[in-house]
Amino acid sequence: MTENVIEARGLGKHFGDFSALKNVNLDVPLGRIVGVIGANGAGKTTMLNAVLGLTSYEGELKVLGHNPAKERDALMKDVCFIADVATLPKWMKVVDVLDYVEAVHPRFSRAKAMDFLSRTNVPLDRKVRALSKGMTVQLHLAVVMSIDARLLVLDEPTLGLDVIFRKRFYQSLLEEYFDEERTVIITTHQVEEVEHILTDVIFIRDGEIVLEADMDELTQQFIEVMVAPGKEDEAKALRPIRQSSTFGRATCVYKNIDRETLAKLGETRRLGLADIFVATMTGEGQ
Amino acid sequence: MKTFVALMKREILDGKNGYVWTPVILAGLTVALVAMSAAGFGNVIEFNDMEVHNIGNFSEMLARGMAEKPDDIPAGMTIAYWGMSVLTWIAFPFVVFFSLLGSLYEERRDRSILFWKSMPVADWMEVLAKLVTPIFVSPFIFLGVVIAAQLAIAILLSLVVIVQGGPVLALWPLGLMVGSWFSMVGHYMIWALWALPILAWVLLVSAYANRMPFLWAVLTPVVLMVVEELLFDTQTLAMWIGDHLAGWQGEAFAHIKDDFQGPRDVFATIIGNMQWDALTYSVSNPSFWIGLVIAGGFVFGAIELRKRAV
Repeated sequence: MTENVIEARGLGKHFGDFSALKNVNLDVPLGRIVGVIGANGAGKTTMLNAVLGLTSYEGELKVLGHNPAKERDALMKDVCFIADVATLPKWMKVVDVLDYVEAVHPRFSRAKAMDFLSRTNVPLDRKVRALSKGMTVQLHLAVVMSIDARLLVLDEPTLGLDVIFRKRFYQSLLEEYFDEERTVIITTHQVEEVEHILTDVIFIRDGEIVLEADMDELTQQFIEVMVAPGKEDEAKALRPIRQSSTFGRATCVYKNIDRETLAKLGETRRLGLADIFVATMTGEGQ
Repeated sequence: MKTFVALMKREILDGKNGYVWTPVILAGLTVALVAMSAAGFGNVIEFNDMEVHNIGNFSEMLARGMAEKPDDIPAGMTIAYWGMSVLTWIAFPFVVFFSLLGSLYEERRDRSILFWKSMPVADWMEVLAKLVTPIFVSPFIFLGVVIAAQLAIAILLSLVVIVQGGPVLALWPLGLMVGSWFSMVGHYMIWALWALPILAWVLLVSAYANRMPFLWAVLTPVVLMVVEELLFDTQTLAMWIGDHLAGWQGEAFAHIKDDFQGPRDVFATIIGNMQWDALTYSVSNPSFWIGLVIAGGFVFGAIELRKRAV
């Protein structure tokens, strides 16, 4: 567990006056599934591009012992990624894609890819151009999941897929791909679909990491209480970070308050990651 | 090496229309034209410096040629076959130019560069594959198609001659044909090395331009030429480009006599001395080497741009 996949110290990226990344320090160990969550333009893609050797940066960065800016090709033996746009070459046939990856990637298993594809409707002799958006993503996911990499970076991997496939994908990612020798980094807007598989989360805003936490610890910190009638004053006295009312009952959200204390006020439940993100970003959770 | 072969295969697959279908269609068209003329109008085919009278059909012409100038017929036929390949070769420089121009531009435009970069392939290897495939691999595809077309034409003409009862063997100067294929390769390689700085420039533009690579590739040298003309009243750049595209051959072959005694003489010169002349002239010419150094600089620039491109 001591081996870090990513080690960043003072990582930064500037475009003229604009700072896409500011002084990011980050350690990501092996055997994690990390969710990177932030608004559009918060710097998620810039940070991941630096990790993948796709962009220059300031500061120090080591990914699996490599300097990504200088050794992208060596790094890509151990790292795999899907960018946030459709990138498979449209003029290639599905089988050409498999042939190419098989020829250039020493860790690619064609048998695995065929197995993944056999569970989809992707036809092998069709050109990528003629595939539906969902099929293109399925093909790309089948390719990367068949590469025995140690770091997999997925930038909005399930964009354009229907809900059934999304569920199935995250399930097979967890059951057939992930193990303690690999780390997966996921960015997505559909937070509720990934939160149950994440082990760690990173919140990022304006190029800075706002929060880096273990998923279990984080979700234990935030508790939502449906306040029982008559206990409103008591609830207010505990200083909730957010309150609202639904169906005529007050709902309060607390951070770092003992669950037993809160249980006396009414029904308690854990807060979803999306709500934690909003609470943190709006400053309520500070 | 396995990776490089895979990259070249990918390039050919990507440029299949230019590299394969263009020569196949043009050569097929040529064969069709020859078939029609051979079948319908046996007397259309002419031999330049032969006086031929009262030709009834193609076989008669061939028989007469064999009788009057037996030594020139094999060379004449080989040259005629090459003449019939011209249509295919006309497309070749366009295919090379546009393949180079699109090679590092299209992948950025359609974002597939992000997929290529997710593979353990170095940028220098990608760029070299995109340089080598159009310049040094695609000519062999063209040549293969041309050879097939030459053989197809020879077979077609043979059928005509067999039916008409003429000297079929005169249509098969195989030794000369094979020799011409090899000397074509030799001559092309030297030509390509001379033109390399210009071709590498197109590759550099392909890596640099965010829009309109064609204008960047063509207008930049034109503007430089005009500026040079206005400021210094000289044409060094234009001369240099012309020299490297084709002009060097004027010098290299300056001493070759131009009073050829018939096709055999022409052919002997082409196949025999010219390759050697071109080679010795080139390796002893500073401009040839300077061109290669400049080409290296452009390729280096293209690699650096590819590293930074997303």
